[in-house]
Amino acid sequence: MKFMKSIRTVTAVAALCLAATTVAQAENYKIAFIARAQADSFAAWLANGIMDEVKKYPDMTVDVMDAQADDAKENAFIENAVANKYDLIIVQPNNGEAQRPYVEQAVKDGVKVITTNARIKDIPGSSSVDADPYEQAAVNARLALTQIPQGANVVVLNGPSGNMHADMRRDAWQKEFFDKRTDVKIVGEQIAHWNKEEAMRFMEDWVQANDKIDAVVSMNDNMAAGALEVVKDDPKFEKMLAYGVDGTAEAMLLIQSGKMTSTALQNAYDLAAKNISVAHDLLTGKITQIDTDIDCPLVTKDNVAQFIEIHKKSGAIK
Amino acid sequence: MNNLMTREKWQTIKSRYSIYLVLIAMIIVCNLLSPNFLSARNLSNISTQISVTTILAFGETILIIGGLLDLSCGSVLALAGVLSVYVFKETGSLSLAFAVGLIVGVLCNFVNGILVRRFNIPAFIATLAMMTVARGIALLFTKGQNIYQIGDYVWFGQGSIGFVPIPVIFMIIIGILTWYILGHTSFGRSLYAVGGNEEAARASGINVGRIKVGAYLINGVFVGLAGIILMARTNVGAPNSGQGYEFEALTAAIIGGTSFSGGLGTAGGTLAGAFIVGFLNNIMNLAGVDSYLQQVIKGAIIALAVGYDMWAKVNRTRKTLGAAKLPNERKEAKA
Repeated sequence: MKFMKSIRTVTAVAALCLAATTVAQAENYKIAFIARAQADSFAAWLANGIMDEVKKYPDMTVDVMDAQADDAKENAFIENAVANKYDLIIVQPNNGEAQRPYVEQAVKDGVKVITTNARIKDIPGSSSVDADPYEQAAVNARLALTQIPQGANVVVLNGPSGNMHADMRRDAWQKEFFDKRTDVKIVGEQIAHWNKEEAMRFMEDWVQANDKIDAVVSMNDNMAAGALEVVKDDPKFEKMLAYGVDGTAEAMLLIQSGKMTSTALQNAYDLAAKNISVAHDLLTGKITQIDTDIDCPLVTKDNVAQFIEIHKKSGAIK
Repeated sequence: MNNLMTREKWQTIKSRYSIYLVLIAMIIVCNLLSPNFLSARNLSNISTQISVTTILAFGETILIIGGLLDLSCGSVLALAGVLSVYVFKETGSLSLAFAVGLIVGVLCNFVNGILVRRFNIPAFIATLAMMTVARGIALLFTKGQNIYQIGDYVWFGQGSIGFVPIPVIFMIIIGILTWYILGHTSFGRSLYAVGGNEEAARASGINVGRIKVGAYLINGVFVGLAGIILMARTNVGAPNSGQGYEFEALTAAIIGGTSFSGGLGTAGGTLAGAFIVGFLNNIMNLAGVDSYLQQVIKGAIIALAVGYDMWAKVNRTRKTLGAAKLPNERKEAKA
């Protein structure tokens, strides 16, 4: 009798331990966020946002890995995350096509995958959270249709060739603006690799070669800010228009001061929040697959004040 | 007889100052291609644009002459720059911020020097490690974010004295300092000796280790200064700035005739090398040359300029040796 009682007690304790372990396992989802490059300020902003956001979910933890803008490193991180049994991987691709086979393999191995900024399209079983790069540029281009004067001279600053966001933003400007405004002349167009200093060098040369530059069309804010830095004290360019994308703290301040015309906000906090919320829904079985975008609101002098608060929150603007 | 003398003089000038002849040829061609090229504002722009990489190139020149190298200068520049900007934002003191920039540059390069001297780590490896460490610290410190609203700090990169921009003034000062160190100090002479033949230099009583650390310390001052100028010029403390600058600096030094085998190089040559690259970038932008084509042309012209410089030097050596054949020619003759 005593023996049977002991057996029952041991069995009950074991069952309790097993149940506790199962619950603990179910409530501790491991997520790997593979960032494109922590040296890229947007990627760092996104990584910081993800780390902040995940604190709201006690059943999830995130490890951030830095691929240092290297395809081989990024692919190795994806493989390692699968091998280390992460429940979900968020991939911010360095080069979507280079990461595609590794993401496909991760999905085949049963790991949930979200691709973000930019999404890798058409991988069955994977999800994606992104901002539409075409629309980000298009909202600016549509505004420019009415703002850039007839017969204007414009300069164009592009992102790295082959980068999906760079190419789609340029495509949007072509279709939404340049194809419709054939009176506008592009007097300079170069790749400045998202880089402010490089954009400054180009702008300094263009200012020499052209008496009149009416507008700067830039595929990101950093390069637009570089172009504006060059002409900031030159009354000849006082009325020059400048368009960017991203909504960086610097762009917000430039818009507020009337030096920059507009940008489209790509809010890393929104992107982070949506990634983490989608990750939670995927892990808890609420959804099995989703492709979703965050909004890309146009920021002009009229509404910049509300967006500056985002950067005050991050500490970038005091 | 007179004709012969004149021809010989011309040959000497041609071989000794070949890189400057390339530079003059470039100025003439660029002026023909663009009427704006020789305008005061354009020349001022080019000088400002090349100032950061030229200051780095002066540091590389000193190191390469001593048989060393610095692959970390782009990252150390970013670290020195962001820390300097941070100190300015916290204290409002330009002089303190300036000092911090220089100190960070010197400290990082002191570590480079110690790694090379004490642990006999090849300069390539030691500075490669520092490149990663310095960039990592800059990113950790800033959490990967830029530091904005840097106020009066921009004076270091955007101010001017009279019509001369501050970065250009710094570049000239560092150029003169490099010229003086290399040509008019015992340290400079020892550096050439160490780079030319380290064992012979040691045998002749030169403290090789001290010379190497000294070269890194001087480079540290230059790198720190370059970091301050770059952040001020772009009006932002950017931890990801300066990527690839080590190669631009090396390019300017090598085009300027600094020999990778050590023991050869001048400040004037490096300055000429930096201007050749600067003129090339400028004229291609003024002429609206396509981005991809620019890379092809740049590579080809750099190869041509260095090729011409090397050919002129071989000619000078041949003249010095008289009828004697150069080693590779002797091998060919035997074959």
